[in-house]
Amino acid sequence: MTAEVYPAADGLVQRAAAAFTASVPESPADDGYFGPGSATWRLNGDLSAPVAGLRSLLVQALHPLAMAGVDQHSDWRADPAGRLASTAAYLATITYGDRGAALRAANRVRKIHERVRGTDQVTGQPYAAGDPDLLVWVHAGLVDSVLAAAELYGTPPTAAEKDAYLAEMTAAAELVGVPAGRAPATAAELDDYLAAVRPVLTLTPAAAESTAYLLNLPGLEDEMGGMWRDIGDAAVAALPEWAACMYGLLPQQPVTEQRREEVRQLLGVLDALYLGEPGVLEARQRIELRMRQARRG
Amino acid sequence: MDGVLPSAMPADKTAPVADRAAPVKATPGTTGTRTPGRLRLSRGLAAVRLAARGGARYATNAPRLFVAAGEQRQQLRNDLALRTAEDVAATLGTMKGVLMKIGQMASYVDDGLAPPVRRTLSRLQDSVPPMSAELAAGVVEDELGGPPDEVFATWDAEPIAAASIGQVHRAITRDGRAVAVKVQYPGIAKTIAADLGNVALLRSLLRVAAPNQDVNALIEELRDRITEELDYHREAANQRMFADYYDGHPTIHVPRVIDELCTARVFTSELATGARFAELLSWPQGEKDLAAETIYRFTFRSLYEAHAFNGDPHPGNYLFNRGGLVTFLDFGLVKYFTAEELKPLVHMVRYLCVDEDPEAFRRAMEDADFLARGAPLPTEQIIEHMALFYDTVRTPGTRTMTAGYASAVARRYFDFRNPLAAYARIPRSYVILQRINLGMFALLGDLGATGNWRAVAEEIWPFVKAPPSTPMGEAEVAWLARRPARTESLSGR
Repeated sequence: MTAEVYPAADGLVQRAAAAFTASVPESPADDGYFGPGSATWRLNGDLSAPVAGLRSLLVQALHPLAMAGVDQHSDWRADPAGRLASTAAYLATITYGDRGAALRAANRVRKIHERVRGTDQVTGQPYAAGDPDLLVWVHAGLVDSVLAAAELYGTPPTAAEKDAYLAEMTAAAELVGVPAGRAPATAAELDDYLAAVRPVLTLTPAAAESTAYLLNLPGLEDEMGGMWRDIGDAAVAALPEWAACMYGLLPQQPVTEQRREEVRQLLGVLDALYLGEPGVLEARQRIELRMRQARRG
Repeated sequence: MDGVLPSAMPADKTAPVADRAAPVKATPGTTGTRTPGRLRLSRGLAAVRLAARGGARYATNAPRLFVAAGEQRQQLRNDLALRTAEDVAATLGTMKGVLMKIGQMASYVDDGLAPPVRRTLSRLQDSVPPMSAELAAGVVEDELGGPPDEVFATWDAEPIAAASIGQVHRAITRDGRAVAVKVQYPGIAKTIAADLGNVALLRSLLRVAAPNQDVNALIEELRDRITEELDYHREAANQRMFADYYDGHPTIHVPRVIDELCTARVFTSELATGARFAELLSWPQGEKDLAAETIYRFTFRSLYEAHAFNGDPHPGNYLFNRGGLVTFLDFGLVKYFTAEELKPLVHMVRYLCVDEDPEAFRRAMEDADFLARGAPLPTEQIIEHMALFYDTVRTPGTRTMTAGYASAVARRYFDFRNPLAAYARIPRSYVILQRINLGMFALLGDLGATGNWRAVAEEIWPFVKAPPSTPMGEAEVAWLARRPARTESLSGR
């Protein structure tokens, strides 16, 4: 990919910011599927969110059928910034939007999923993006990553907050078609699920190639490229050991306090950058005000 | 002496780039070439620039907070107030407080910061809500030993201004004086100290915020500034000295410090009133000229006589009243010079503007370490380059300061293609003086101030000490005569 296809960093930050701003309603019809008092509002807006996003993709890519669907149907490489921004916008809409907006966004995703079906070249298995197994996998990759990134680099969730988050987020899974009761609803269920699914996982050539591409996005201007790779390093360091092994990494060093501080500082700079985009501060304030109001009772 | 500095400090080309740790296992096509080591340099602010480049597209759509929020906006802002030290850390930690400070420092630098970057950084400033009344009261209680309602006769819980690491409240003391009380965000010192430790990230941020400047010197300055700013004792001492020095001055007013109500995190001074800079801009030109003359006299009298330089010529740090009366606020950033440090600057202006001795000027630059000895450049080329900085005082007569002149000065200052750049540098003790060129000129340029700057300078230049050239100069002579005998320099105290 070249710089023309991926027109530098402004695409990434600006488009993500514009999408985020549009996702946080000025006059919500209701509190959406989670509400301002939820663990979901807090954790999906954590400082560590960029790391969580990259880690999610790294984890999700390890399921060969999920990967095949992306590889064979998505044109993400033509416009990675657009794809990342729209994924972030989807999550923001589901989280902070009212029920109507969340439902509309989820239905758009379901519609796209209908077309995503085929046969994986590696395993020879047929796949369909709407397959609940795959949807659960993608969901698990996300929620596990949000919790892991917040734990390492953000405001660490308490055990109760983790369970609350997982229970709440099953609503997000159901929105895209996971049958009720299938998505892990507690930390213990999530661990069990991840252990059970492991035999299916493998690093296919498509996954290896896609994630390497993602972590070293070509065409980023020098300055943004450095930042992007640092976020990538932080995401890699947050991978579970089994995932790191599958990627051919030696066991990860534990994240030291100094390292955590450095990553947080970098995330802070990125956040400042994001805040500089039109409307982001106001959208943040809308969220903060509603969360405060919810806490007051 | 306007231009006290040679141009073009060297770009910091030798700064080490943080190493990437060696790959653990280089598996082509996988992520295996990645390993967490120390973070590489992240050119964060360059990214700000990149991101901001297209930001103007949206700039016309004023973002709304809520539909029809309108006049409730202030209330909403209060609802967002920082209530705990954790809120402070979340808002000003993770580099944000440091970024704001870099933005403040860089904002003096006209061409050093693209307008979109400036906007982004000022947006960051906007993102800091005030402290809640309770949080601010808690700081006052911790510092002054009682809640504000007891320590003061009257306490206005609504802050009147934001300070970079705190906010300002109005109050009336128990003995009836109207005062401004600056209250520092709790926990900010610890938060910022951690961020200042990340030199690699600071280096990359500064390299972008203030391109072409000596990044190492700037980091030192940034750390010194912030460290000083965190202790309000320092500011109180500075302001006390300036207030004493200018006591009774006809147009320069420095609010008195209320010593017994000052601590490391609370700073109390007389409440001053006057128009803000933006309002001054709408006043008749004659008023603007007088205000400019006062600022000019303050700057150079402080430097040449008091050997002190208030390095914060931010438009927000002045209050204006008719007749050229200017109140100077915020002495958080003061640099004191020894007579030795000042001498080469005095020599330079003297040899260039009064004695008109180019070779002596060049030697003075070399003595001050501004210019490498033996630089293979003809002296006239050096003079030609440097003369712009002294343009307003090199020849007699009336001159109008313009924004164009201010940015020409800044452009030349940052002109690294100039052959002189390779041989010029600014020793650290003079770094702060760049604000004369870049800050004060920008301010006077905005005012479009007309004056006989050479004549005013001659009144102040220690090697001339000319008689007064304006009515304000006359009034100053009377003030100087009334003033008790004193050692003139503030430095060394």
